[in-house]
Amino acid sequence: MDNLMLALSLLLAGFIVVFVVLILLIVIITVYGKIIQAGQKSAENRREKKKIRRAEAEGKPTEPSKASAYIPPNQLDDDEIPGEIIAVIAAAVDAVYGDKPHKVRSVKRSRNGRSAWGNAGIMRSTRPF
Amino acid sequence: MEIITRLGDVFIGLIQSSGLMTLSWENYVMIVISFMLMYLAIKKQYEPLLLLPIAFGMMLVNIFPGIMGNPVTQLMTYDQVVASGLDPASYTTSAQLLTYDQAVSAGFDPAALTTTVLKDGSKFYEIVYYNVTANGGLFYYLYQGVHLGIFPPLIFLGIGAMTDFGPLIANPKSFILGAAAQIGIFITFIGAILLGFQANEAGAISIIGGADGPTAIFVTSKLAPELLGPIAVAAYSYMALVPIIQPPIMKLLTTKKERSIVMGQLRPVSKLEKIIFPIVVVVIVAILLPDAAPLVGMLMLGNLFKESGVVDRIAKTAQNELMNIVTIFLGVTVGATASGTLFLTPKTLGIILLGLIAFCLGTACGVLFGKIMCWATKGKINPLIGSAGVSAVPMAARISQKVGQEENPANFLLMHAMGPNVAGVIGSAVAAGVLISVLK
Repeated sequence: MDNLMLALSLLLAGFIVVFVVLILLIVIITVYGKIIQAGQKSAENRREKKKIRRAEAEGKPTEPSKASAYIPPNQLDDDEIPGEIIAVIAAAVDAVYGDKPHKVRSVKRSRNGRSAWGNAGIMRSTRPF
Repeated sequence: MEIITRLGDVFIGLIQSSGLMTLSWENYVMIVISFMLMYLAIKKQYEPLLLLPIAFGMMLVNIFPGIMGNPVTQLMTYDQVVASGLDPASYTTSAQLLTYDQAVSAGFDPAALTTTVLKDGSKFYEIVYYNVTANGGLFYYLYQGVHLGIFPPLIFLGIGAMTDFGPLIANPKSFILGAAAQIGIFITFIGAILLGFQANEAGAISIIGGADGPTAIFVTSKLAPELLGPIAVAAYSYMALVPIIQPPIMKLLTTKKERSIVMGQLRPVSKLEKIIFPIVVVVIVAILLPDAAPLVGMLMLGNLFKESGVVDRIAKTAQNELMNIVTIFLGVTVGATASGTLFLTPKTLGIILLGLIAFCLGTACGVLFGKIMCWATKGKINPLIGSAGVSAVPMAARISQKVGQEENPANFLLMHAMGPNVAGVIGSAVAAGVLISVLK
């Protein structure tokens, strides 16, 4: 009987402690996530405003984003990305961000980092058990 | 002629000391089980990284039990030490005072012994013994890492260095599912008590429901070290059988419509958030539950190595070399705890049965909480990710993905399921802390 009481009290205590600790973590992670996101957003806004102000001071009109302009493929430099590809990338970004406000500012080809084969190899050999 | 007799004696001695004469039927049964486990590891590739060393350790200890033998200290007199061909100077000594009669009955000549006379005039004879220690078996020493609870936190260090907590940070609500899957542990505790297990044994058995091998070993080494063999074998076997055990439970508890839910993309997580995460988790968990600190602390240290990006060399060592070395030692020595006479008992059957119940309950509770969250978010969460709350990383998350894709091939639940999956690792470590602090 004593053991059963211990079991029941452990069930309740365990349930409460595990949930309380993890809910506390949810609250803290959500809060610091929001703070960091807000901080990064305002830093980005500041940078943007500074850029516009500098451009205005120099008397140049602000350039429209290259990504939005269509350039026929035969007029592209080697390093430039064709408009169709940009459209696909923009669609993928849209799928990720959904209804949140977003804007593609630039598209850069990633040259460092591993190939898909390299990644597959790493996944395979570092798979935890 | 004498040569033939001597040769015969040598062969008789060899046969008498061989396994053929010294092993019991239990040892032979365990050897056959170890062969089956090796087959599963090599041919079926069920958790081979652990199952193979476990099975080999099991086989070795049942062929040669001395490999796990404790070091034995024997008290010998000076004459016995010399007669054994040992050097008395290399051993520590301890003295014992005997009365005249005791000295005579122990076979000593009182006249040759040093005497001590007490204040009341009674006379004692001093005998000096040498503490001659015979070394233990190889696995006895390797096993100390398990026995003292050193290896499981080291494995957690490696797991932390491999784990991306991004999906959990992007969707912290996953913690709820990681917590829900631990309820099975505490319900099984009641079942174990009802089956007649002691409270400490019940605690060690029920942690199998966390589906986390290192945590199960850590808790068992603290609460019921004598049950380490069956519990570790059960825990790793069920982790290997996740693809067989979980899907029927997941399908039973969810509707076709729920399984087809496509979840929205997770938000990208910044590097700063990933760096702060392990520090915050350790501070919160270690302050509230100090007993969980070794596991959670090492898990998060490994993760900080990875996310900080400034100690790449250490992170790689934790992920690869250290993890692999500890895995070898942990595997063979855990397997070596399963010697026939200790393993083949009704208790082991009870442990294996209760472990399975704990595991199934954990999966079911995770899925049921997934359903609650699905209802609360008006169908934005697929309940299948709840089963990943048991911490078999990343197998349980892969099963969520697989079962989801059976209903809708365009559905990608893997990253969503990784959130509850890594939350389950933290959750089971917290549950372990609760069990240790209450039952120790």
